[in-house]
Amino acid sequence: MILGGCLARPGFSQISEVVAVTFFKRYLIPRLISYVLVIWLGITVVFFIPRLTPTDPVMRMIGEMRGRGSTMEPGTMDDIIADLTEMYGLEGSWLDQYWAFWGRLFRGDFGVSFFQFPTRVNQLIFTAMPWTLGLLLTTTVITTIFGNLIGGVAGYYARKGWSRTLDAVAMVVRPLPYYIFAFALLVIFAGLVVRWFPTAGGASLGALPTFTWSYIKDVLWHSTLPALSLSILGGAVTFQTMKLIVQNVNAESFVQYAKLGGVTESRIVGKYVIRNALLPQITGLALGLGQIFSGALITEIVFSYPGMGMLLYNAVIRGDYNLIMGITLFSIVGITTAILVVDLTYPLFDPRVRYY
Amino acid sequence: MNETILRTEGLKTFYILDVFGAQKVVKAVNDVNLNIRTNEVYGIAGESGCGKTTLLKALAAAIEPPLRLVDGYIFYYIDGKAVDVATLSPEAKRRLRLDYIAYVPQGSMSALNPVIKLKETYQDFISSHVSGKSKEETIQLAERHIAELGLPPKILDSYPHQLSGGMRQRVTIALAALLKPSIIIADEPTTALDVVVQRGVVQLLMDIQKKLKNTIILVTHDMGVQANIADRVGIMYAGKIVEESTTEKIYGDPQHPYTQFLINSLPQFGDKSTRQSVPGSPPSLIDLPSGCAFHPRCPHAMKICMEQTPDLITLDTDHKVACWLVGGEHGKTA
Repeated sequence: MILGGCLARPGFSQISEVVAVTFFKRYLIPRLISYVLVIWLGITVVFFIPRLTPTDPVMRMIGEMRGRGSTMEPGTMDDIIADLTEMYGLEGSWLDQYWAFWGRLFRGDFGVSFFQFPTRVNQLIFTAMPWTLGLLLTTTVITTIFGNLIGGVAGYYARKGWSRTLDAVAMVVRPLPYYIFAFALLVIFAGLVVRWFPTAGGASLGALPTFTWSYIKDVLWHSTLPALSLSILGGAVTFQTMKLIVQNVNAESFVQYAKLGGVTESRIVGKYVIRNALLPQITGLALGLGQIFSGALITEIVFSYPGMGMLLYNAVIRGDYNLIMGITLFSIVGITTAILVVDLTYPLFDPRVRYY
Repeated sequence: MNETILRTEGLKTFYILDVFGAQKVVKAVNDVNLNIRTNEVYGIAGESGCGKTTLLKALAAAIEPPLRLVDGYIFYYIDGKAVDVATLSPEAKRRLRLDYIAYVPQGSMSALNPVIKLKETYQDFISSHVSGKSKEETIQLAERHIAELGLPPKILDSYPHQLSGGMRQRVTIALAALLKPSIIIADEPTTALDVVVQRGVVQLLMDIQKKLKNTIILVTHDMGVQANIADRVGIMYAGKIVEESTTEKIYGDPQHPYTQFLINSLPQFGDKSTRQSVPGSPPSLIDLPSGCAFHPRCPHAMKICMEQTPDLITLDTDHKVACWLVGGEHGKTA
């Protein structure tokens, strides 16, 4: 379907072979090569950067052991250092580690986490991922649909009173710092004023993850405030951008012309104004979806919500090379793939974009 | 004599702008009386910024804020009956568009929705006015219409960006003629097109007029195009019609100094002298000069020109001028 979008040449129902071949040679293959290159470059950078930071995970572990009051002989300490270095996969020069790393990566193995030793990175990520995906996918979809729809209609009727009111509300909400807004929600709805929602966690303590109604209800109940905080602020941004774009499209001559041609208002709003205004928003949505994998750190801190953001934060603080690599790999692949998909499907939305 | 199809009476439409609390009034159309007849091409000429486009908006009943109808009337003659446009509901006005009065935008404008095929645009325009037609029927109607006007029907399958500027403009003109309107209003239809293409576009407009025997109101600053196709011409300056007559009289015996300037700026065969342009530039429509608005640029300006605004007076049948230099009573007393 994706390729079909790029090849569906308007005005000519048959896709000629020549066109297809040119498309593959001139566009698709170079584009895929650049896709792979970007991922490789990203991974390489993420591999070396933590090793350049002053945090040495082995010495950090030793420090923690000492902090707990255990004394050890110098010989034992050297043994422990050697053992840890081997278990962490930090033996040899950086180049040796780099080759070993790629070998493991192709087997789908990110190694063990340092700070939750000896849990495997894969397991940590797959425990945190469902929470992050559930929360952020939902809020991104809600934000996109409502923000664009309301923003679109409000932009078209920009002179109406209700449109101005919405605009004023968005103008007040949008510049609020996220952590203050989230914290205010928490204080109002889960603490001082009313206690409708829980203060922390992704589910009640001790609740077993099962596909039962009571567990799903519990998860939804816990995720309401985090989702609300993300949707309202994110929605205000989408609303304002969309409203502005629509106001600009509304002044375009093809909209004015359709009005002077007596085209019905519903057609003008949908097919002429919003249809054209959505084009830049599609790119924004794809990038938003790509960023989901890195989680929402502040949301997770404020609402003590389990997820990728907190995991990444801890990994960076503790110098957990393997975990950092595991999480950022998802981000890198997520964002580059999102951009690739947008590039390849964009001709479906905007017929002016062709790749041959 | 042809009957009246569109008439304005003391038409004043101003842009009322609110600039940091202070009201600014742009007098874009200031006391215009037009009497446009069936089966004629009425040309409106003048420099940029003298209110031509605003006058067209008013004639198309598309007065939207910040533009306001301050005074006067616009009458449409529908089936011989005068209808005051200001009394019509928005829905009634919408129905009249394309059906009674159609609009052709500037040649440089992207008047067609860039993300849908032309046939979809045609479909939108048709089904907004004609109910009870299936998708296939509307497309067939569009194809037949396009073919009648000598354009290739397969262009309906393309997107606007795949056509040349001239072809796009022809498609737009064809769209305007779709429902056989009584009046077609064309706003600089040939602007930004090269001369060869201009000819094709003007020809198409003329063919449509001959076929439908309807009225075309043509606005252009191109006096050459005007001379070729208009039956009558109104010269507009600073929101007013300053001279109006048949094309022969306007070009053969121009009375207003401004008209004379416009015509002298036209290139002519065999005349190798440098063309003269109108000295100075048009006045600001916010702050009009006293008296005759043209007096600061007029080589014949007299004392009275600075004090009183000349009326549009009739010289002989079909020739009206607003200038203190010419005509009956005030020409002589000055």
